[in-house]
Amino acid sequence: MENSTENTDPVYKNKDYGQYRELFYTYDEQGNFQKSVGFHGTNTRVPLEQAWDLFNERIEEARLKVLAGKASPIIYYMEKILADPMGLSMMAGISLWRVKLHCMPIFFKRLSDKTLAKYAEAFNITVDQLKKME
Amino acid sequence: MMDSKSLIINYTHRQAGHCESGATSNLFNFYGIKMSEPMAFGIGTGIYFSYLPFIKLMFAPMMSFRNLPNTVFRRSTKYLGVDSTVIKNFSNVKDSMDALDKNLEKGIPTGVQVGVFNLTFFPPEYRQHYNMHNMVVFGKEGNLYHVSDTVMEHPQTLSYEDLVRVRWAKGAFAPKGKMYWINSMPKELDIRKGVELGVKKSVYEMTKVPFWLIGIKGMKVMAKDIKKWPKKHGNQKAAFYLGQILRMAEDYGTGGAGFRYIYGAFLKESGETFNNKQLLEAADIMGRTANKWREFTYLGARNCKNRTSQPVEDYGTLGDMMMEIAGMEEQVFKTVEKLKI
Repeated sequence: MENSTENTDPVYKNKDYGQYRELFYTYDEQGNFQKSVGFHGTNTRVPLEQAWDLFNERIEEARLKVLAGKASPIIYYMEKILADPMGLSMMAGISLWRVKLHCMPIFFKRLSDKTLAKYAEAFNITVDQLKKME
Repeated sequence: MMDSKSLIINYTHRQAGHCESGATSNLFNFYGIKMSEPMAFGIGTGIYFSYLPFIKLMFAPMMSFRNLPNTVFRRSTKYLGVDSTVIKNFSNVKDSMDALDKNLEKGIPTGVQVGVFNLTFFPPEYRQHYNMHNMVVFGKEGNLYHVSDTVMEHPQTLSYEDLVRVRWAKGAFAPKGKMYWINSMPKELDIRKGVELGVKKSVYEMTKVPFWLIGIKGMKVMAKDIKKWPKKHGNQKAAFYLGQILRMAEDYGTGGAGFRYIYGAFLKESGETFNNKQLLEAADIMGRTANKWREFTYLGARNCKNRTSQPVEDYGTLGDMMMEIAGMEEQVFKTVEKLKI
């Protein structure tokens, strides 16, 4: 689906970034509140970039871990949808301790198709993609 | 049923700083009441602060500058005596979409709570797991729904499948198809009473809730925590945690400075309408507080940019600044504590 044309760039480096104008309020010296429509300033861009840098780092880390066989693809896709095990357990409807087990390759191999489908739905991918990771 | 027909309600989209108060004010305007965004925000007691370090949201301590989702709509309609309906959750997807279609057929623009992670028209850099976004659906054309998202400049369209996906987003604060609308508007609205009730509730929530992480007290706890971060977590993590404050305050559709500007505009507007000195004085302090917030975010951003082991700005200074901001906000709510309009 969407994953076929994957963009590996961090989101904020996409050409779209910062192309949306938003409404801001300001307070001037005369004591009036003003509305203005504009782009984000540095004080708002920097923390966002920081967050996306961290997310991308985590995704890359997880990918290397999976390739090294230390973790199951669940970890990679979990980082990819910016979730933590708790969030993933809510999204997939699988209890937290089971999610944590499934992050290990040995338990991941034993998963039934039903559980795999649950994960695949949460990640918005097919089961095949989940098994192979990309 | 009416799938092929196009059905668009004559609804005016106006951009706003905050999603829910913008949606509320647009809905009020649709029914012929002139209600600006700050007024809706203030009467609906949108202002809030909570700091919950033991919950991690996007890998950093959770803090919130606004009330729980749907509070603004619920309270503003309640305090003004407007007949409205809120359906908290549906048991299944089909019911929720049918109810929406039925409303559109009747010509009622309907607000829905959605998660932004899969929202197709949303700026990609904001697509994180945040399930408390609000928008108004005002039309349907075949498979396409017309939605007014007040964060965006113009109305947008969403397909049926996409709308289902965002209305049934999973995770914390899952919307579960929540929707709300106004049934009818009384001829005369008692804005005076609404402002009084709204301010009273906000004063309670910001200064008197007996819990140490909510309101001004929470800000003071956070100010102390900021100073500890670099020692406790190291510089990089401290910068990320600091970034969380800035993202929450400035990025995620707040109109600037964590809703403080909007609330100040509300105090100013209501003070001018009722010619009330207390409100005007509070508005001035709130405006200056908001400017202080903005100053804080500019200073903080310098720390976030720098990824080396030494912070640019001292976390002690930032903590003191936060403490000062907390003091100023306390002053605002002290000023309007015994409000007489």
